[in-house]
Amino acid sequence: MSLFVQRILKLLIATTILPAGAELTSLSDNDLSEVDGAGIGLVMDDFVFSHGHDVANDKTFRITGLTSTVGEAVTVNVNQLYIARSGSLYGSDLKGVNLGRLNNPYEIDLIDGDDIGLAGEAVLQLSAPTKVDAALGYDCLSKTATLGSGECSSRPSTLAWENGERPDMGLELEINVGANVPKNLNFNVESAVFDGSYVRLWGDGASSKMAAEFRLNFYTPQLEISTCSQANQGCTSSIKMQDFELELALGHTFQPLYIGADNVTGGMTIEIAKITHQYLSDIDLTTGLSNGTSTGDEAFTFFSDYYSNPEYRSNIIIGDLDIGGTSLGSSKIEGILIQHLDVKFRDLSL
Amino acid sequence: MKKIMFLAFTLVFGSYGAYAEMSRIDDSDLSEVTGQSGVYLTGEVSFNEEGGPSDNSYFGACNVAEKECGARLTFQTQQDGGWFVLGGIRGSISFEGLTMQIRNISAASEFGGDGQFFGRDVMQIGLPESIRMNDFQFTLATGSSARPDDAGYTQVDFMTVEMSGDMTLQGNLLVFPTP
Repeated sequence: MSLFVQRILKLLIATTILPAGAELTSLSDNDLSEVDGAGIGLVMDDFVFSHGHDVANDKTFRITGLTSTVGEAVTVNVNQLYIARSGSLYGSDLKGVNLGRLNNPYEIDLIDGDDIGLAGEAVLQLSAPTKVDAALGYDCLSKTATLGSGECSSRPSTLAWENGERPDMGLELEINVGANVPKNLNFNVESAVFDGSYVRLWGDGASSKMAAEFRLNFYTPQLEISTCSQANQGCTSSIKMQDFELELALGHTFQPLYIGADNVTGGMTIEIAKITHQYLSDIDLTTGLSNGTSTGDEAFTFFSDYYSNPEYRSNIIIGDLDIGGTSLGSSKIEGILIQHLDVKFRDLSL
Repeated sequence: MKKIMFLAFTLVFGSYGAYAEMSRIDDSDLSEVTGQSGVYLTGEVSFNEEGGPSDNSYFGACNVAEKECGARLTFQTQQDGGWFVLGGIRGSISFEGLTMQIRNISAASEFGGDGQFFGRDVMQIGLPESIRMNDFQFTLATGSSARPDDAGYTQVDFMTVEMSGDMTLQGNLLVFPTP
């Protein structure tokens, strides 16, 4: 083989292999935080789910492994768990419902932490449909809400759009404790809306923990808790909460929610750290204001935002509370700010 | 010599195509791709119906109450912390009619009028026409370490869920990229 041909062959082999041999470098958290690609939208179309404990029809759905305070075995038969179109009559009339809209779906997304106050972090976000401008949305509670009546994107079931995007949901339980007579406990909600809810997850490098920000918005024209039998779900032995609104904020950028387990007892732990700031000592404890330094001003601005920002606060509003047919009027618990949370689960049998 | 020159010529132009720069496919190009009309799946998935591995001294003895039995998934959310446990997974799930296909949504009559403003393809996963659980069960718990045969292991069970029989499940899951 001539020298010329040998050189050509060597050059070809070298240039063909070179791109595959390029060095791979690791992607740091900071690099990853710059990634802000398209998310994945999820919409359930014409969805129905239902299952329940029904021995006669060869169906089993029960929760076991529980014991009463005196050590008796507790078996919870799930008479029915359902998600269906609004107007299901306690899950007896199951028709398809949509969950999420094409232009505002449930979404899985990787967002840039720099945009939400988490510098240099990549954040995984799982979210329900977002709230929208009032001119483009629907009232979050009304079953007859029309366009322009509120901030929720999900629409109620109507003659023109029967599916709607607001499901009825129910959990109907029969609790058996030892040899005692079984007792029923049912939770039914109508036309439920979760718009504006989300979970954000990221890695907290300082503590080596998975940190979370959890926001649950839940609106329903009626939440009913009853002890009615499976065959008579509409009985009067019930607590009805009409126009029920729950806006629960657990954890945020400055006080992440940590959910884990204890490495000694094995119990679950839920923790929200105390709020603090690196220049906390520059706040004058007598006046509650900055001590006049620039760091004091920075700390004051931080705490001022913390105490005034409604995004960090939880609300529970009940339009009308009805117990066994007697109306007790409306109730409101607004502006709950969780400043510290430390919950540890323990097994009582240990 | 001629053969060698031919070989070199072939390598030059033969490898050129493979060496050409790859260009990314954007959403618009991808929307032009069409394949089969869809997939229809029927099947059964079984998890440790007869218990766990029989050659392990700890797992597998479903008839011994104090031992763990069934498939087990554990994960940790904190370094050096405890573990979340999805354990005791046993039983089977059989289904018929799980479908996967590409669907174009652009008509005003679809999705309460949202369809005409959407005008795109989505991946549609049709939930099975029938789905049946056979003695399916699992336990939700947290534990002090990854494996139940670790020294000093303790586990706090939340609940064990048991399901059997035909379930009512209908609808389509639509999956698509969002901006």
